[in-house]
Formats: sequence, C-alpha cells, structure tokens
Amino acid sequence: MALSVAADMSRRRLIQALLATTAIPLLAALPKDADPNAIVEVGGWILKRGDLR
Amino acid sequence: MIFEDFESFRASGAAARVCVIGSGPAGTTIARKLAAAGVPSVIFEAGGEEWSEDSQDFYRGKTVGDPYFDLDVTRLRFLGGCSNHWAGWCRVMDKHDFEPKAWVPDTGWPIRRVDIEPYLGEVHDILELDAFRADVPISDDIRLVQLIKSPAVQFGVKFRDEIERSPLIALVLNTYVTELTGDGRRITGARISSRDRDAGTFVADYYVPCTGGLENSRLLLWSNARSNGAVVPNAAALGRYWMEHPQFLGGDAILSDYSIFPTDSTNEAFFSPSPAAMEARQIMNFGIRLIETPYGGVKQIIADLACVAPDLAEWTSAQLGQDLRCAAQLYVGWEQAPLASNFIRLSETDRDRAGVPRIELHWKKSDMERRTILEGLRLFGETLAEKDIGRVRIADWLVNGADYPTDQELAGHHHMGGTRMSDDPAKGVVDRNCKVHGVDNLYVGGSSVFATSGQCNPTTTITALACRLGEHLGGVAGA
Repeated sequence: MALSVAADMSRRRLIQALLATTAIPLLAALPKDADPNAIVEVGGWILKRGDLR
Repeated sequence: MIFEDFESFRASGAAARVCVIGSGPAGTTIARKLAAAGVPSVIFEAGGEEWSEDSQDFYRGKTVGDPYFDLDVTRLRFLGGCSNHWAGWCRVMDKHDFEPKAWVPDTGWPIRRVDIEPYLGEVHDILELDAFRADVPISDDIRLVQLIKSPAVQFGVKFRDEIERSPLIALVLNTYVTELTGDGRRITGARISSRDRDAGTFVADYYVPCTGGLENSRLLLWSNARSNGAVVPNAAALGRYWMEHPQFLGGDAILSDYSIFPTDSTNEAFFSPSPAAMEARQIMNFGIRLIETPYGGVKQIIADLACVAPDLAEWTSAQLGQDLRCAAQLYVGWEQAPLASNFIRLSETDRDRAGVPRIELHWKKSDMERRTILEGLRLFGETLAEKDIGRVRIADWLVNGADYPTDQELAGHHHMGGTRMSDDPAKGVVDRNCKVHGVDNLYVGGSSVFATSGQCNPTTTITALACRLGEHLGGVAGA
C-alpha cells in the first residue's frame, strides 16, 4: 500500500512533504517576507527557506 | 643485493655510506635515489619478506585517550612496510596545506609545495599514477577534488628485483636497528639485533630512519634515553605533534541529479574547502567523500526517503525485498590541529623481545576538529542548497553534540608527526632538508616529518618528500 502511494507521488513532492514535517517548528516562526533563498538548518538538514513553503 | 640477515651482509663485505632503516615507501625510495646518484646504501628491514605474527609482535603498544587501532595492526613490519596494506589512494597535499593558518597555532611548513613539485613526475612513475585532474570549484567554499585510486604499489613486490640486481643497494632482512648511538653532534653507530640476536654495531656515514610515523619516534626517543640526549639534542618536539586523519560518516545527501558529479569507478566523489572558507570558519582542512548508490525509479525514491525517514524507508524497502540505503552518504576525514599534547612516549613497563620499550600513544581529538567536521558539512550543505544541487542532512550525533561513534573506521591508519619539520628546533625535530637539528649525519624519512597533515592520504606526499631527501642526501654523501 505504502509502496503504491510512493510510486504515485513525484519524488520532489514526496521529499518536500517529508522535509516539511521535520520543519514544523520553523514554519511556525517563518516571517512571510523571509528570503526563500536564505539557508536554514532544521533538524540537521541544510535547506533553503523556500524548501519549507 | 638482498641478504637474509645481518651476519650474511657483514660476511659479504658490502659497503654502504648511508644506513636506511626500514623498507617502506620512504626507505625504498631514498635508497633508489641514492643508487641513482652512485651512493651505496644499506636498508635494514626488521621483518622478513612476508608477514609474520612473530614480527608484528614488536609493534604492540598502548593507546591512551581516544579509541584507536591496535598498534600491531595499524602498521606492518616486513618488506615493503605499510605499503603492503595500503589501499592506493593518492593525492598530493595542496599548496595551502604547507602554509600557516593564522587561526591555528603551530601550522605551516618551512618548505612549500613548490619544493616537492619537481619530484612529482618521479612519484607518478613510482606509484603508477595518471595525471591529476584540476580541482573544480563548486562554489567559493567547496571544490570537487580528485583522489586517484592507484594500483596500490607494494614497494617490496615492485622493487625487489631491482634491489636484488643493484650493486649499490644492500637490503638486509630480519635486521632490527634497536638504537642509534651518538655524541651530541653526530650519530656514531646503529645497534643491531638480527634474528633475535645481538649483532653488534653498524657504522655508516649517514643514518636515515624510515620506520613509519610511530616507530621513528620510538627509535629516536629510546636512542636519546640511552645516550642522555646525544642522538637528538633538541628534543622538545620529539614524539610530539602526532596526527591522524580521523574519519566518520557525518551525514547523507539527496541530490537533484545523481550524474551531476563525476564519480570514480566505485561511485565516489571527493570535495574539499577553499582556503578562504577554512579561514572564514576558522577550521582545519577536510575531505568529504560522497558515496553514491546508483538506484533508479522507485528504488531511488525509497533511497532518498532513507535519508529523511530511515525507519519508514526500511519498511518500504523490505516490501520490495531490497536493502536500500540513503543514496548518497557523506564520509568526512579531516586534518588534525598539530598539538604537542598528542604524543608518543616510551612505556615504562612494557618492552619488546629486544628490550626496547613499547610505544604509549597519547592521542585525543580536539574541539577544533569537532568544529571542522560540523562546519565542513555545513559548508558542503550550503553549497548544495545554494546551487540547487541537493540537500544535506548532518548526522544526529554531530548535531546533538554526542560522542564520536565507536562502530566506524575511526581514522585512516595515517601516522604523522613525532619528528616534525620546522626551522625552530623547539617546534620541530628536523629542518627543511629532513636533517635532525644539531646532528650532522642524521636524517628522517616518512610521514613523521609532516608539520601538518592536510586532509589527503599521505603516501603520495611521503614519496615526494623521499625523492627530495634522497636527492639531497645523494648530493651530500656523494660529494
């Protein structure tokens, strides 16, 4: 079941969803006008702030 | 010429102006360079032609501080020395590795990379290397660098026949130099134990210990203890500033395109920082080894998932009957800060069969190194994110400040320092020509002369330095 769901999703969407899960605390504090290209570190991930939107 | 022991060498009447101790990459290269200059030398090899438990026993020792390999396992005591278990990975230390780092005390060599560059052609022949590819900047901070995985020359195998035919090199097996004797200005002889029997003293014009990054210190410390400091008169740094290349799995990466970096035959690519990045972060040099596992389709998705949610990926992978790992793993090896507090000393209680005290290695990774691996991964992660090449996840143990893992390789088996090179006798044992400060006829070959370690595997640089020392000594001894 999980396999068919994973196969149906695009890789980008799947990863974005998973990354977003780990970034909930940061999202809560994310200013609306924050630079989407700014580098942030969330749970050990080195991300662009835009990855979290 | 090859002799099975010291007695047969002595009986032959063969002459030698230079006494080379050890037949690994440094010792063999120096003897070959001397022969090319017409200078006869003898190589005393403590072991035989093959590995033996009996010979390895002389290398047992004790480590104090961080976990480290058993000292009789991390090196080899027979013809060819540590080249017999060398993996063959090659890169020459970079230009900036020889220069001081203003933010790290006791860095910088008295020579520069240009001083060994004239010998790199010979090194390529000796180690059977193709030309190195130029570094490729990925950003201002990170460069894609090449580390050649060479055929891993075993010096005892490759050069045995040449040495046997040479009238100018006498290789004497099963012959252990237990001690050098000196008068404070010159070395006067080498005490020999051959086949576990005292064989007296051998006298040459010049002496060159090339017994490795642990044993060189042991020989000179013991010689100094026996001679009341007459072998290494300036001994403040003797045994000190010992270094390794610690290495750990520091994180994972998801790449947007798994063909973006050219990988080698084992799907690996290597990255290092720019000098400016090291200065900006106030860290040492490091190397990131990115290991790709080339998956396709759904497997790739699950492998990427393994970077993010390992438990879920494991379950999903099991449904496929597969064992899929995060598709890009990041191993980090780094340069240690040279510290006098990392040192080799002689055991007060334990000796080998010839009566020479065993090594007690005091070694501990510093806070600087912890910062180097963490900031190094951040630099790499920031580069990948800024360039939209991929995303990096730093391992939990690093992010959380936990202890180093104990179930990994720990380090590279690279033993460096102990007789480091410096113009200042208080900070080093040998000068820019690898000659021991204050002693006219004692030189040191091998990685024990490294003032700093850089981040790359040392054998290529060891061989280049040996070519340089061999040529220098050929000029001095041949004059």
